[in-house]
Amino acid sequence: MDFLNYPQPLADLISSLARLPGIGPKTAGRLAFYLLQQPQISQDLAQAILTANHSLKKCSICSNFTDQDPCALCQNPQRDSTELCVVEHPRDVVSLEKTKEFKGRYHVLHGVLSPMEGIGPEQLTINLLLKRLKGVQEVVMALNPTVEGEATALYLARLLKPLGIKVTRIAHGLPVGGDLEYADEVTIARALEGRRQL
Amino acid sequence: MAVYHADALVIRSREYGESDRVLTLFSREMGKIQAVAKGVRKPKSRQRAGAQLFTYGDFLIHKGKSLDTVSQCSPKESFSYLWSDLDRSLAASAMAELLDISTISGQPNAELFTLTLTCLFLLEQYETSLLLSAYALRLMVILGYRPHLGDCVECGERLQGERLFFSSEAGGTLCGRCRESYSGRMVRAGSIAFMRQLIQADLSKLDRLRWAAWMREEVLETLRHYLEHKFERPLKSWRLGNTISDGLERHIRSLNGKEGKEFE
Ligand SMILES: [Zn+2]
Ligand SMILES: [Zn+2]
Repeated sequence: MDFLNYPQPLADLISSLARLPGIGPKTAGRLAFYLLQQPQISQDLAQAILTANHSLKKCSICSNFTDQDPCALCQNPQRDSTELCVVEHPRDVVSLEKTKEFKGRYHVLHGVLSPMEGIGPEQLTINLLLKRLKGVQEVVMALNPTVEGEATALYLARLLKPLGIKVTRIAHGLPVGGDLEYADEVTIARALEGRRQL
Repeated sequence: MAVYHADALVIRSREYGESDRVLTLFSREMGKIQAVAKGVRKPKSRQRAGAQLFTYGDFLIHKGKSLDTVSQCSPKESFSYLWSDLDRSLAASAMAELLDISTISGQPNAELFTLTLTCLFLLEQYETSLLLSAYALRLMVILGYRPHLGDCVECGERLQGERLFFSSEAGGTLCGRCRESYSGRMVRAGSIAFMRQLIQADLSKLDRLRWAAWMREEVLETLRHYLEHKFERPLKSWRLGNTISDGLERHIRSLNGKEGKEFE
């Protein structure tokens, strides 16, 4: 896309917007012109982004985003501190909390191992995880069902098992409402592996 | 809009936007291709499996103005053993990374395609580092970077002795006179001979080769250095695979020691 004919501040705005996930150059252009015509909305949005960025930080224990450190979940005495659930992103904590099934505590990795993309163990919050294992009996891996998510779970299991900690993984299987016929072989194999007695 | 088929292997799969992935495919007919697979991170997507790293299948692709789009994928093989084996998964990732950095888009190389696919099938059974080393050496041979192993790259002199001088810069072993102007390392003659065998042996009989731990370590290091020198980049998956399988304790200590250290 050619922004050469735009004044510099406008070109900068468009290229910043185009860096957001799911927004291509065309949409970025539309959004930029809209924002320029709506000064109040622009003002509020800019303020909200700055405030959120400024007041949210990563919890020093679990690495989830929080406005207080440690975060509310880490401070809650009701949560079982012998169980730790490892997730990829902060949004996964939200998904798991919605189910009200898990009573333990969380640890957010902020990604999975993907050496080709430059993400090694040092880029994830693995050092923080290793520092909070006192009293932990079980670590539940709730990572996305991808080759990299699985490799990360195996890698963590290799680090944790020698410490006598039980390492489990959430079952990977068929999506609710999905058709067995359309499932791929890996999904079906995983689903079989995670079968349980009725 | 133009549509084409690709008999291809997914060698990179990156999250993109809300629910898409950008795939790097290595295809038999067209070499390396980049294409977006839309919506494949949604649980109900039917193309989900096809957008996974290391899936081999038939891809139906729409040609786009800037990026092509995968409109259908029929997986033929997903190498599911990789999902439950960390060392093999990292070796496969090292193979994919090497293939990615050593090739440019749109240049078909059927021989390299066949080699990669064959090695992914063999990786399930064979010793991980044996197969990875054989793959790397054969890839170099196909791309015209065959290392000289056993005689002097410069003057052709037959080399003898327990240890030979190997120079990544020169592309092989060097005699006492010719090594003056090159940097390199001393490698045991046994390792050099073993690398020759890794190139020449029948791939399907590779598992008959035996090597001692010191030889494995030496071959892996010499090769990694050679590859990184040729492609001027660190082989990240290769390095990670090595530190995890050989020095887990040292690895854990380094994790505890450094925080947010640049991964290279
Ligand atoms: Zn916390
Ligand atoms: Zn010479």
